[in-house]
Amino acid sequence: MKLKVKLYGTLSQQSPGYQHSQGVEVEIPDGGTVKDLLAHLEIAEKQGALVVIDGQILKADDTMRDGVHIHILQSLSGG
Amino acid sequence: MKFIRVNMSTKALSVEDVPEQYKGLGGRGLTSIMINEEVPPQCDPLGTDNKLIFAPGLLTGTSLVNTSRISIGAKSPLTGGIKESNVGGTVAVALGRLGITAVVVEGQAPQGALSFIRIDKEGNASLISAQEYKGMRTYQLVEKILKTYGEKTSVLCIGPAGEYRLAAASIQSSDIDGRPCRAAARGGLGAVMGAKGLKALIVDQGGKSADAIADPKAFTEAAKDVAKAIKADHMSGNVMPELGTAALVAPVNAMGAFPSYNATKGVLDGWENVSGEAMAELIKKRGGNTTHMGCAQCIVHCSNEFVDAKGKYVTGSLEYETIWSMGGMTGITDLDTIAQLDFLCDDIGVDTMSTGVAVAVAMDAGHKKFGDGKAAIEMVEEIAKGTAFGNVMGNGPAAVGKHFNHARVPVVKGQGVAAYDPRAMLGNGVTFATSPMGADHTAGNLVGLYLTQELDPLKPEGQVETSRFLQTVMAAFDCTGVCLIAFLSLLTPEAGEAFLKVLNAKLGTEFGPDDFPGAMGTRVLKAEREFNKKAGFTNEDDRLPEFYYKEPLPPHNTVFVISDEELDSTFDF
Repeated sequence: MKLKVKLYGTLSQQSPGYQHSQGVEVEIPDGGTVKDLLAHLEIAEKQGALVVIDGQILKADDTMRDGVHIHILQSLSGG
Repeated sequence: MKFIRVNMSTKALSVEDVPEQYKGLGGRGLTSIMINEEVPPQCDPLGTDNKLIFAPGLLTGTSLVNTSRISIGAKSPLTGGIKESNVGGTVAVALGRLGITAVVVEGQAPQGALSFIRIDKEGNASLISAQEYKGMRTYQLVEKILKTYGEKTSVLCIGPAGEYRLAAASIQSSDIDGRPCRAAARGGLGAVMGAKGLKALIVDQGGKSADAIADPKAFTEAAKDVAKAIKADHMSGNVMPELGTAALVAPVNAMGAFPSYNATKGVLDGWENVSGEAMAELIKKRGGNTTHMGCAQCIVHCSNEFVDAKGKYVTGSLEYETIWSMGGMTGITDLDTIAQLDFLCDDIGVDTMSTGVAVAVAMDAGHKKFGDGKAAIEMVEEIAKGTAFGNVMGNGPAAVGKHFNHARVPVVKGQGVAAYDPRAMLGNGVTFATSPMGADHTAGNLVGLYLTQELDPLKPEGQVETSRFLQTVMAAFDCTGVCLIAFLSLLTPEAGEAFLKVLNAKLGTEFGPDDFPGAMGTRVLKAEREFNKKAGFTNEDDRLPEFYYKEPLPPHNTVFVISDEELDSTFDF
């Protein structure tokens, strides 16, 4: 399935040529989970990634549907 | 270890050894415990009996990185309770290197008299007439001060708002580049400084008489581990240098907790235009700096320099809370306008958070439309003019609500809220309601735990306990001079142990985790709550405004559901 992904924080640093206004299209096998998506994008656990669809933060084993718009954010603490 | 006491009524200055009862205290711990001891709780915050105390942290003046915070304390004219507001820049380190534990400003100059307190590199203090600087805005003032006293000078100062004694007036602090762009903004301490007749505290940076370190070898070793932990953390070592605190715009909107349009929505339409990512892209395109060293001894560099289309400096470090208050709350999604508003607040000397919320309340009351950037700039400029409406604006959101007879006023204990809506982040609501400071974004902020999904922001379970824990930890760290960004990277067991070693090596103590942050944080909070109680506060002051309980916040459409009884248990230590 194809997913439209926007990367936030410093997550785009490892995707050369990434343009924030465009985002990036990612293809992973049908039934892929959040964990699969992060692995595909080579985002490590210590980077604190959060996968968000329609304002909901997903859990690592949640699956995604073809064509959805995904925001991948970074967890931060406040100040 | 010495106090400099300055009596503005008699013009007497004295230097004394730190009294026994205050030994081992620094930063917020020192200001709050001293105020509780020495300031009559019922006094007029703008009268002779209030004291304005400047206290660097316990570790400030040492070689430890990110220890540039100074706590400023007094009875607040905004909340009527105790207040500590801390700020970075360079002045804390300058005082620390002189071995000055606190500068205590007492009494009150005759009406209209204005002075500087200057401390030279030998630690000698003097009072100097500042009549010629009356009404001057902070950028021009600091430029003149640096020209007179040298570039290696640190300044804490007030602008016109402080001289007018407005309840949202800030004290501005000069950064590494000598710009007064950092603020001890909350609680109206600029008004206290204005009421004392003090325009600026000026400190030479050349001091070489810092307090001795009890165990220098252990200190140096542990300090290296602390620095490594700050660099290794993904937030302080990676995200903050790239995007600064503005990186929070995206996740807090994603959580539906970004108070927008005077806290009627949890997502700002067009937040992508004001996100940290958008700001970094714009600054880079224009040739500004997305990362910048704002404070002495900083290794994080979360600061930025926002420039206009021609590459000219507009403001220094546009931060998350200001983007929210001047953008989210007002519906303004143009970064140039928000940057201009940030600069104006720094220059006039008012809190960007309270002022943004004040603008939002005025817009919500129908005075102007949400999103009208020109109107927002005019409203803030009005503060500098000293007009009747400018005074209303400069006295903060509660004053604006009263002026327009408008009920939706997001304040606690009179102080405007911060950038996390209590209905979508319940624990932050607990902190806003119960902090002795009034609504506050640094007193015990749970956002990190919500983003890592360690705590559900919409379920009441665990919110009070977590707020209690974080408020205690913050009260302790606010004693040390360490900045919040660095502190957040020290919460792992290894980093926490290294930090404790540093503290013990500096003080010659044998603190364990129960002593720090535990006992120290509790001691500070107890003193603050004791003062507030004597000043007339009751449990009823530890509540959010009514609309948070009654108006559901989209997109989650939830209200604040922590009961009064639960709130009242927050400080059951």
